[in-house]
Amino acid sequence: MGVIHIVILALLIGIGFVVGAFGSISFPLGFGVNFFWTGIAVQQVGGIWFGGWGVLAGAIFPFFSNAIAGTPFYVSLGYVPANAVQAFLPAWAFRRFKADPRLKSGRDYLILFLSMLVANAFGALWSPLVVLRGFGLLTTESLPLFVWGWFGGNMIAGIVFNFILLKALSPVVIRTPAFVKRWWA
Amino acid sequence: MNKTMLGYVPKESPIYAVHPFVKLYFLLIVSLFPMFVAAPEWNFLLLVIILGLMVISRVDIRIVRIYIPVAISMGSIILISYTILGGRHPEFQVVFNLFGLPIYWERIRDALVVYFRILPMIATMVFFLSTSRERDIIVAMRTIRLPFVVTYVFAMALRAAGMVLEDFQIVRQAEQARGFDTTGKPLTYKIRKYIMYMIPLFALSLRRSEEFTNALVARGYAFTGEASRVKRADYILTHYTFKPHDFVFTAIITLAFIALLVARYGFNYFGLDDSWFIRWLYSVLV
Repeated sequence: MGVIHIVILALLIGIGFVVGAFGSISFPLGFGVNFFWTGIAVQQVGGIWFGGWGVLAGAIFPFFSNAIAGTPFYVSLGYVPANAVQAFLPAWAFRRFKADPRLKSGRDYLILFLSMLVANAFGALWSPLVVLRGFGLLTTESLPLFVWGWFGGNMIAGIVFNFILLKALSPVVIRTPAFVKRWWA
Repeated sequence: MNKTMLGYVPKESPIYAVHPFVKLYFLLIVSLFPMFVAAPEWNFLLLVIILGLMVISRVDIRIVRIYIPVAISMGSIILISYTILGGRHPEFQVVFNLFGLPIYWERIRDALVVYFRILPMIATMVFFLSTSRERDIIVAMRTIRLPFVVTYVFAMALRAAGMVLEDFQIVRQAEQARGFDTTGKPLTYKIRKYIMYMIPLFALSLRRSEEFTNALVARGYAFTGEASRVKRADYILTHYTFKPHDFVFTAIITLAFIALLVARYGFNYFGLDDSWFIRWLYSVLV
């Protein structure tokens, strides 16, 4: 762990704060759930590049971007596990299956896509079912709207941004000292 | 004027007589209040009190306008989710039929209860953000003795957010200068082209991370090892003392919360059965 990783953690929170707030304000469905959440790119690409630091940032920054967008404090706090898993799973899949962040082969694309799918599905189930239902904010009948809203909003934004970001910037990132091959260094 | 996280507050504002920890404590505790209150009129009263505190703090109340679309969209979604998407329940009382879909009294009531719970929670957050500077949050974190590295990361993240916003403007202007214009283009086009901002933003941040690191290392900062264990002077805290009125405010917030819990669970106050608003609405609708 070096100073650069602490700096990367802070900068990722900063980027996520701005980019996530843009998605939360521009395409809101309600309670911090969005039709198109741009923050997912910072969350998942950050985890793949910077391991544990990216995952930490991915778990923390939505708390702030949601706050700015008017999501109540404790609802945002309830989303932390969902956001942590969304950041963690693609990072874990890339390390477990030794995929290349530069997306050199079809296998790398497939691993990214499947890990995004599972991670976003977990987030989409956790947040409406556990958090929003837990706070009594939704009826059982309206849950599918929020489950699909969360899943679709993250999946579409992930497909639009994650592949291009990884393809365009990974060759640069892996040459910097900030790149984390394992989890913390 | 002092720049806060959501706008500007005059330097003479009484809010600056309050220790930053008290503001953070207010956010953490008062955000919990609506969860224990079902009667909408009490939550509405809390909302009015928070707005009153914003006026006393001389916050430019126009800042609330940013959140009006959020409040309206949230209200509409809650109402639609409870009424139109609320399903069919023969055991409920039908108020009217909307295109053959029964709209139930119980669903309208529940939607209003939820909506009036959410509004003061949002207002508490807006009050905190519109009266707190970045420095206030750091002071509050240092006051509760959070580790230096946590406070430092948080401070740097807040600073980074400001820089990313500046970078975003620079990138946008640079792309506009090269003829990139999304005016009149469909939303899908704008979304696709948003990546043109994301790549430079990430690239700029990566470059900045190296500049930041070099600056920190040159100043002898370390977050692990022997150097990190050196006791640091909390210079910023010397500017903020916890005065007697801060103790009083903290005690009032704590006692109010305890009183709320006792009233709710000991005496069954703040429930729907005692709500005059709900009784009045029932007499109007049903």
